[in-house]
Amino acid sequence: MKPLNLIALLLFLGGAVWALTRSDRAVREIQNAYYSAISPFLKSGSKMETQARAFLQETRHSKELEVELETTRKELGRLSLFESRTRALESENDQLRHALDFKKAAHFDVVAARVIRRNPTTWWQTIEIDAGSKQGIGTQLCVLSDKGLVGKIDRVDNGGERSSVLLLTDEKCLVAARVEGSPEVGIVSGRRGASDGDPMLRLRFLSPNAVLQKDQKVFTTGRGGIFKPNILLGTIESVEKGTLDSEAVVRPSVNFAELDSVFVVLSADS
Amino acid sequence: MIRYSIFTILFLLTAFVVQQFLPAFTGLHDSRVLLVQLVFLCCAVTVDVPTMLLLAFIGGFLWDAQCALGPHGGDPAVYTQQVESLRFGCSILLFGAMGALMHGIQPLFKQGKWQFSAVLSGIAVFLYLAAEYAIISFVRGDLILSKATVSQMAFTSVLTMLFSPVIFWFLFRIAKACNHSIYPEAGRRRRQQTC
Repeated sequence: MKPLNLIALLLFLGGAVWALTRSDRAVREIQNAYYSAISPFLKSGSKMETQARAFLQETRHSKELEVELETTRKELGRLSLFESRTRALESENDQLRHALDFKKAAHFDVVAARVIRRNPTTWWQTIEIDAGSKQGIGTQLCVLSDKGLVGKIDRVDNGGERSSVLLLTDEKCLVAARVEGSPEVGIVSGRRGASDGDPMLRLRFLSPNAVLQKDQKVFTTGRGGIFKPNILLGTIESVEKGTLDSEAVVRPSVNFAELDSVFVVLSADS
Repeated sequence: MIRYSIFTILFLLTAFVVQQFLPAFTGLHDSRVLLVQLVFLCCAVTVDVPTMLLLAFIGGFLWDAQCALGPHGGDPAVYTQQVESLRFGCSILLFGAMGALMHGIQPLFKQGKWQFSAVLSGIAVFLYLAAEYAIISFVRGDLILSKATVSQMAFTSVLTMLFSPVIFWFLFRIAKACNHSIYPEAGRRRRQQTC
C-alpha cells in the first residue's frame, strides 16, 4: 500500500472512531448545525411546494369548490353552535369546581401543523411537520390527530419552522398502554419491516394469561412522562400467549398513510 | 486532479440538498432513490484512494446527521427496555466499505467500461442497505426479515442504479471542465487507434 493511502486510511479510521464516540448531545448539536446549513434550501423547497399546491387547487373545478364551500359553511355553523354550548358548559364546570374547591385541570394547549414530508429516512418511520420552536414546540412532545396518537417530536430544526415526528409505527417509539375494560398494561411499539400497507403495533409485556377480545380499545396510561393519559392508540387484533408474558397485535386508530395534519400537545403535564 | 476532487465534494454536498426533495415511493414499499450514496459511489470510482476516503467520511457523517434519531427519553423505570438505533458514525464505515468495493473495479472503469460501475453501484447500494438492516437487527436483538423489507431494499437499489448513467454523465462534464481525464487508458487507446 502506498504511504499516502495508508495515512489517508488511518485518518479515515480515526475520524470514524471520533464520530462513533460522540454523545447524544453532541450528535444533536451536529444535526442542528446540519439542518441550519440546509434550511435556506428547505424553505425555498417548501415555498415552491406550497405554490404548486395552490396552483393545483386553483385549477380544480369551481363547482367542486362551491360544493366544498357550502359543506364547510354548514360544518362551521354546526361547530359554532357546539362551541357556544361547550363554552357554557366550561363556564358551568368552572363554577362548580370553584364551589367544590377542586384543583383546576391542566391546560391542554395544542398547535396544529401540516405534514410536509413523509418517511424522509430509509429505516425510521418519521414525518416532518411545518411547525417548530417558533410555535413553542420542543422535543419529546406528544403528537395527536383527531383519531388518536400519532407519535412524538424527535427533532426540532434550529430555524424553528420544521419538526420531525417519530411515528407510533416505529419500533423505537415506546408508549405505556392499557387495555380498556381489563387490568392489562404493557408497552406499545411499532413492528420492524411492516412499513407499507397496513402497519400493525405490538403490545408487549402483558400477563401470560391475558384475556383480551378482538376490537378492545388500547389507550395510553400516561405513565413514563411523555404521553398524556387516555389517548387512543388502536384496537386489539389478536393475542399471542407466551410462557412468561403475552403479546397482542394492535391495529392503530390513525391511518398514517392519509395523515395530512396533526396537533402537537404543548403542555407537558397531565 | 485537485480541482476535480473539490468539484466531487461539492457535487456530493449538492446531492444532500437534492435528496431532501426526493420522496419515497409508497407504491414500491417505501423505496427511494438514494442520490447521496449514488453520487458517492460514482465519484469513488473516478478518484484516488485518499479522495475516496474523504468523500466517504463527508458522506457518512452528513448522512448520519440527516438521519440519526434522538434518545427515547421518558421515565427509565417505565421504559425499561430501550430500543437502540444505528449509532452516529456507522455510515462513515459503510460508505468507506462501499467506496472500497467501487474502487476495486476502477481498472475496468479506466478502460472506459463505465457500465460495470453502473451495475456495481446498484449492488453496492443493496449491500449497504442490507448491512444497515443487519446492524439494526443486531443491536435490537432479533432478525425479522419480511418480504416488504427485502422488496424495499431491492427496489431502492434498482431505482438508484437507474440514475447512475446520469451521474456519470455529470462527472464526465465536470472532469472535462477541470481538464482532467477520469478514464485515461480509454483515451490513450483511442489516440493510438487514430495514429
